Amino acid sequence: MTDTNGDQQILRYRSRQRIVHAVMASSFLILLITGLALVWGPLAFLAAGGWSRYLHRIAAVGFMSVPFLYLILDRSGAKEVLGESFKYDRDDVSWFRYMYRYALGRTAEMPPQGRLNAGQKLHHSAVIVFSAVIVISGLVLWFLKADLSPTMLAWTAIIHDLAMLVLTLLLVGHVFFTYVYTAWSSMATGYVSKDDMEMEHSKWVEELEHEGAEGPSA
Amino acid sequence: MAYAFLLDMSRCIGCEACVVACKSGNQLPVDRQYIKLIEHTSGTFPDLTGGFQNHRCYHCADATCVAVCPTGALFKEDGLTRLNRDACSGCGYCVQSCPYEVPVMSDGRSSKCDACASNVGAGGSPWCVTTCPAQALKYGDRDEILAEAKERVVALKDRYPKAQVYGETQAGGLGLILVLPDDPETLDIPADPPATPVVVDAWKEVVQPLSMGATVLAAAGAGVLGIIARRNHMAELREVDDKKKAGVTAGDSDTEEV
Repeated sequence: MTDTNGDQQILRYRSRQRIVHAVMASSFLILLITGLALVWGPLAFLAAGGWSRYLHRIAAVGFMSVPFLYLILDRSGAKEVLGESFKYDRDDVSWFRYMYRYALGRTAEMPPQGRLNAGQKLHHSAVIVFSAVIVISGLVLWFLKADLSPTMLAWTAIIHDLAMLVLTLLLVGHVFFTYVYTAWSSMATGYVSKDDMEMEHSKWVEELEHEGAEGPSA
Repeated sequence: MAYAFLLDMSRCIGCEACVVACKSGNQLPVDRQYIKLIEHTSGTFPDLTGGFQNHRCYHCADATCVAVCPTGALFKEDGLTRLNRDACSGCGYCVQSCPYEVPVMSDGRSSKCDACASNVGAGGSPWCVTTCPAQALKYGDRDEILAEAKERVVALKDRYPKAQVYGETQAGGLGLILVLPDDPETLDIPADPPATPVVVDAWKEVVQPLSMGATVLAAAGAGVLGIIARRNHMAELREVDDKKKAGVTAGDSDTEEV
């Protein structure tokens, strides 16, 4: 497949993966805004009467459903992302050493990367770990609130707040790299420029060519 | 200026006039009331003694309910603990954290005495004070109220040796000064209610503002760095593009040189 400039395009994310991403992204943003209503004074009006608390719970159910949704819609994709996100090779380790270059938009001297670069792996694993923390602390605040002393309530809320801080900072980084590397299309259409991938994920492109295909079939 | 109530339990006759006046004056619906009289009896028949606990908001200076409230619906004003029900989200943190178990949830929002904010603001007195037939209730400047409470206790000592003022120091100093004929425990009132845990203040005053600050800083930094980094990456892409075009279409005069 080629785009209007004649650049070759390859499929990076199947439509079902993009659906999972959309569910996660939209539920996360709703959770962020309705959560901020209880943290930031100017947004407190959203919480008046409690409707933001109900919306928060509805979005929480959506957020918690993400791993199951991924397994149902795309079992192999879910397994792949789990397997790859916690496995680092030598190139990944040296990628971290030159990470500042990547953050500055320079890929030229970066070690060759597979389907996920080392930063994406770290991002994924951090999202998984802190999502687990925020889900567990959130469920405690939801169902066990009445059994908490003021001290335990504050501790649970601190854990919940700090996990959200980490996830929000990860989101900032996520949006940052999406913008710098014009990666929006990977989640919008699923296709990305092959030239880009040769610069940023050369080992993956080699792998695809080795398989004798331009990408997994949608 | 800090205001306070005087509640003289040696004078309270348990008539519930304050309950009624509060309810009707504040136009509270059927399921809401800010004052509750709880009768306490001890001993075995026929040797019974007892009294009334006039249960209502104690208006703590160090109010845990205010410290945990996420929306600012509960706040301190003039030494009293006010509640803006319009701003309440109904999270119920105040219900759980009040050492006196005062706030309750009603119609999905917190409910407690707000010292008749609107009535007093208009130059009146709190409804309970206006109506008390036994002169057990008074409202005014906290220093004066405290002084009067001490005088009343002195006068009571002959008859009630354990008579005492309650509220001068509890929970940072209460806005409800009680004159008690006996130890507070006899009326199920904690002698020394737990202070607001440090971790509650740390949560609201440190963790949340720092988290907000860190997020705003990170977003701003990412915005600036993003513009620079994207420019770098675009230059890199053009370089690759140029090389490719130079390779594929060498000599093509239409190729744009950048």
